[in-house]
Amino acid sequence: MKKRLLCMVLCVGLVLSMMCGCGLADNSAPKEQTQPAKAEGDSEKTTGESEEEKIKIGITLYSLKNEFTVRIANAAEVKANELGIELVVYDGNYDPSTQISQVETMISDGCDGIILNPQDAQACAPCVDKAVEAGIPVVGVNTRVESDKLTSYVGSQDVLAGEMEMQKIADLLDGKGNIVIIEGPMGQSAQIERKEGIQNILEKYPDIKVLAEKTANWSRSEGMTVMENWLQAFDEIDAVVAENDEMALGAREAIKASGKDIPAIGVDGITDALAAVEEGNLIASIFQDGAGQGSKAVEVLYDVIKGKDVDENYWIDFEEVIKDNVDEFKKRAQ
Amino acid sequence: MDKQKKFDLRGFIAKYGVILGLAIIMIFFTIMKTKFLTMENMLNMLRQTSINGLLAVGMTFVVLTGGIDLSVGSIVGASGMFAALVARSVTGVPWYLAICVGLLVGLLLGLINGIIIAYLRVPAFIATLGMLSIARGVTFMASNAQPVPGLSPGFLKVGGGNLGIIPIPILVLTAVLIVSYTVLYKTRYGRYVFATGGNPISARVSGINVRQITCSVYMVSGVLAGLAGVILTSRVTSGLAAGGEKYEVDAIAAAVIGGNSLSGGRGRLWGTIVGFLIMGAMNNGLDMMAVSSYWQLVIKGIIIIGAVMLDSLNEIKA
Repeated sequence: MKKRLLCMVLCVGLVLSMMCGCGLADNSAPKEQTQPAKAEGDSEKTTGESEEEKIKIGITLYSLKNEFTVRIANAAEVKANELGIELVVYDGNYDPSTQISQVETMISDGCDGIILNPQDAQACAPCVDKAVEAGIPVVGVNTRVESDKLTSYVGSQDVLAGEMEMQKIADLLDGKGNIVIIEGPMGQSAQIERKEGIQNILEKYPDIKVLAEKTANWSRSEGMTVMENWLQAFDEIDAVVAENDEMALGAREAIKASGKDIPAIGVDGITDALAAVEEGNLIASIFQDGAGQGSKAVEVLYDVIKGKDVDENYWIDFEEVIKDNVDEFKKRAQ
Repeated sequence: MDKQKKFDLRGFIAKYGVILGLAIIMIFFTIMKTKFLTMENMLNMLRQTSINGLLAVGMTFVVLTGGIDLSVGSIVGASGMFAALVARSVTGVPWYLAICVGLLVGLLLGLINGIIIAYLRVPAFIATLGMLSIARGVTFMASNAQPVPGLSPGFLKVGGGNLGIIPIPILVLTAVLIVSYTVLYKTRYGRYVFATGGNPISARVSGINVRQITCSVYMVSGVLAGLAGVILTSRVTSGLAAGGEKYEVDAIAAAVIGGNSLSGGRGRLWGTIVGFLIMGAMNNGLDMMAVSSYWQLVIKGIIIIGAVMLDSLNEIKA
């Protein structure tokens, strides 16, 4: 029995030391070197003057479990390395409460700036409040937050994305037909604004009927399930408008399995979607430059920390990807 | 065979090993990141852990009777949502009544659990699994899957405010811990809870109303989940339909790490406290070390298994 205890203690010790050695941390090497330079309780917020101490920023994304947000994170890391600053990346796990906790951690960890990609426009407002109260600037990226304390926002006009995709479908259907709409997580700014864009275009086409609309939370498998049920419920669906590629692809899986061929469109321009557009599985995708957003956000935050003036908003365009121009996008997307 | 020693080292470690574990973890993180042990970070850690702490206390009551409550995450969501609907500034309802609504919803759902388990004889695992779905569905229906913002400032203080430098959630948790400790260890009810879990048949034969006790622990779990829901909603300033999702996992983990046996009758409240402190420290420390969230999940699982193995040393004595 003693042996078993010893064995367990050794195992735990082994795992812990593995953790340190393996560099599991998103950026372990630079951090270990700067440790001795930091004194406990020092305030890095007031200055970027001491050149010994690297500027440190943190980013919390609503999830790192989908391709699009990973693009944002990767681009941010590349930019941070380029600028010679330290970036800590957090996965918000689709939970606003987790993101608030992560911001609190970033504050007590002495971050000079924070980039926020909120899961929920309202629920993540405390993130900004807390950071600003601690004197730390916050730059929003990709999804919006209900707060006027944000220093700047880098993103793409989601209303436009909604309009672009709905217009494409309206053109395809010649202004007449039945459609279904698959939405993102309710309450996230992308869902709210893309829906608004879709609605704007729908108003111009009274002969297009929306049979159903439901959220599939950006998920491919949920999109598939939702579509399967709709295929059972409705005889005549002419097109599927999905607020992102993952859900559009999921819907197409369901459609293919049922033996039908209903056109679908999505937003983001992820790798699978580009391939799908190429083979004709999706009629188009509205490309969102996630990498561009991530990179720009780091740049803007760096400028803020260095005391420069920045704009309130930095908009990066959405671009329509169709069969003819797929190759160009494949080269650009990471 | 082991030699008989004056001081039973093995037994000591089996019983108090978790405290040692907590100490090791705290020391480890302090070495890795000096900012870990600052007042600010410790308050952060305690505040973040207080929701899980409330759920873990409720789970302890349930687990002591040999049961399990898989529905606490959904109860958090449901009570938080109903509290939010009532707490909106437009309704004009005072914040303390909104809190009561949250608590009542939790109590009610817990009562339903308790009746199904204690009186209709459905196994706790199944009954609370069902409630997990039902409560979540009700939450989505009540809110139409939309978030519920615009809550009154008084209500927002509960999860977001401080008394001095101490965040209110920490005070709430402390109060709940004091009350729970008193109930479990200083009242007849508490003894009955332990007895019911240890051996329900003997308990019944000695005159304890086992069904009532069983039903009551789910009500305790429910009302604490309701309180957690109120705090969560207040902290994120909006009623979230998906609020509390998967929180039951961490609550069970905290109770189990603390040495509460899932078969009932054996356990300790201080163990649960150490349990959720360990989880809170792990979450906070690993975040500060920027360990990826995927690894954090793996580590959490290893700790749970390790803690149970440690605890099993208690049982194997000849």
